[in-house]
Amino acid sequence: MIMVHVAQFFWGWLLASLLVGFAMGWISVVQRGEGVTGAPGRALWALVGALLALAIGRIIPGRFGYWLDLGLVMFGLYLVGCAIGAWLRARVVARSTPPA
Amino acid sequence: MLAILWCFAAWTSTEPVEGEIAARSNAAVKDVVLDKKRVAVAGRDVTFSAEAFSPEGRRDALSAVEAAPGVRLVNDETRLVPEAKPFIWSAERDVVRVTLAGSAPLPQVKGRLVEAAKAGLGNVEVADQMTLSRGAPPRFDAAALLLLDQIGKLKDGKITLSDDKVSLSGMARELGGREAIVAALKNLPEGFSVAANDIKAPPYVFQAYKDPVASTVTLTGNVPGGNVHADIAAAAGRKFFSEKVVDNLKDSVGAPASFAAVVVPALGALSRLSTGTLVVTDREVKLSGDALYDAAAAQIRAGLGANLPANWQYKAEITVKPPAAPVDNTVCQQLFADLLAKARIRFESGKADLSPDSLGLLDRLTETALRCPTANIEIAGHTDADGDATQNQALSEKRAQAVADYLVRGGLPANRFTAAGYGSTQPIAGNDTDEGKAQNRRIDFVVK
Repeated sequence: MIMVHVAQFFWGWLLASLLVGFAMGWISVVQRGEGVTGAPGRALWALVGALLALAIGRIIPGRFGYWLDLGLVMFGLYLVGCAIGAWLRARVVARSTPPA
Repeated sequence: MLAILWCFAAWTSTEPVEGEIAARSNAAVKDVVLDKKRVAVAGRDVTFSAEAFSPEGRRDALSAVEAAPGVRLVNDETRLVPEAKPFIWSAERDVVRVTLAGSAPLPQVKGRLVEAAKAGLGNVEVADQMTLSRGAPPRFDAAALLLLDQIGKLKDGKITLSDDKVSLSGMARELGGREAIVAALKNLPEGFSVAANDIKAPPYVFQAYKDPVASTVTLTGNVPGGNVHADIAAAAGRKFFSEKVVDNLKDSVGAPASFAAVVVPALGALSRLSTGTLVVTDREVKLSGDALYDAAAAQIRAGLGANLPANWQYKAEITVKPPAAPVDNTVCQQLFADLLAKARIRFESGKADLSPDSLGLLDRLTETALRCPTANIEIAGHTDADGDATQNQALSEKRAQAVADYLVRGGLPANRFTAAGYGSTQPIAGNDTDEGKAQNRRIDFVVK
C-alpha cells in the first residue's frame, strides 16, 4: 500500500512482471503445461499465504522485508498479467475457431 | 523468470528507495528541535535515534517519521535529554578567554549564548563546553544573557547560575565595575536572585611623588572626579609652594569614603619632606621619604595617623635628610628672604593659628635656622591696614609668636628668637588693593 510512494524506483520491474504474466497467460491457453495440483499445490498456496501474512504483519525487518513486499507485489502483478493474457487469448481463440 | 526479475528489481531498487526514505524522514523532523538526530534506513524501515527536549517533542518527532511517505516501520531509539538537577550554567573568564560551561536548555539558546559572548566581548576567545539538559528555570536565557554582559566587566572571574541563584566571584576590570555589576543585577528576570557576590574591585590608588631635583610634585592614579579632584589639585598647589604640581590623576569612581579628608593632610605631610612618596591604596596611607630635621620626622610619623578616620591605616617610613652645611649669618638672612619671597606663612583668617598649608615652608625655615646656630633671629609679624590698629598689633604679635613656637618645637633654643609685632605700621605695598594687602600680611625673618 505505502509501496506506492516509492514505486518510482521499480515501476519498470513491475511492468516487466506484468508483461511476463501476460505472456505466460497468453501461451497457457494453447500450450497447457502440467499443473501443480493436489497437495503440492496447496502447499504452494499456503506458502504464498504465509508470505503475504508476514508482509502484512510487517514481521520481517529491514531489507528482507522490503524484498518480500517487492516480490509479492511483482507476483501479484504477474498473476494479474496471467489473467489478462489468458482471458484475451481465450477470446481470440474462441473467435478464430470456426464453430463445429 | 519472475524470480530473476525479482532479484534484479531488489538489487537495483533497494538503495535508491532507502535514500529516498531517509531524505523524507529527515525532512519530516526538520523543524522539530532535537539533539544528536540520526536516521538509518534498511529497506523501508527507519531506525530513528535522537535526544528530545520534552516528552511532547519526542512524540511529535516519532509520529512525523512514522507519517513520512514510504516508511514501513520505525525503530524508536529516541530518548529524552538528561535532566540537570540543579541546573547549573557558568561563564568563566580569564584575561583572554571566556569559557561557557554547564547546562543549556536548547541548542538555539546555547548558540545564542556563544554568539552573545563573541559579540559582547570583542577579541576574546570563547570556549563552549555547555551540554544540553532539561530542567532549566523559566526565563533562563534572559538571565544568562544578562550575566554574560557582566562577564565583560570582569578582568577575571566566574559567574555561576545554579537554578535561579546567581553567584559571582573575581576581579572587576575597572574601578566602579563592581558597582556597575551590582546595578545590572537588579535587572535579573523575575525569580532569579543573587546568592553571593564576591566581585572585588581593583585597588583605588593615589600617588604623589615629590622630586627635589626636578622640583616637581607628580600626582598619579585615581581621584574622584569633579570638585574633589579640583580641591586636591588646589591643595597641592598651596602646600607645595616651590614645586610645580604635575596633575596626572584620572577621575575614577569607587573611592573609599573620606578620600579627600585623608589625602589633603597626607599631601601636607609630604610637603614637609625633602623628597618622598605618598601612596594611598584603598584605605591605607603610606608615606616614605626624608624629613628635613629630627623633630619634623617624629611629628610626621605620629601626626598623620592620629587624625585618620576609622578603618584607615597609616604607615610612615620617614628618615632624616643629612643636615646641610652651616652658613654664616649673612647667607642665613638671604636664605630666609629667598624662602619667604616664594611663599608667605599663612594663618587661619583673623587668628594666630598656623595654616596646615604652610607646614612645608615652616619646616624649610626651621631647617635654615638650624644651619646658622649663632644667629639671633627676630620674627616680625605684620598685618594690613584693615580693622582696628590695636587689634592688628596684637594679632601680628601673636602670629609672630606662633611661628617662633613652631621653630622651638622643631628643636631650636627659644632664646635665639624674638617675636615682634608691628601691626600695619610697616607696609611693603599699598593697602588700597587686595593684592597689596595680601603682601602686607606677612612674617619676616630678620637675622641680628
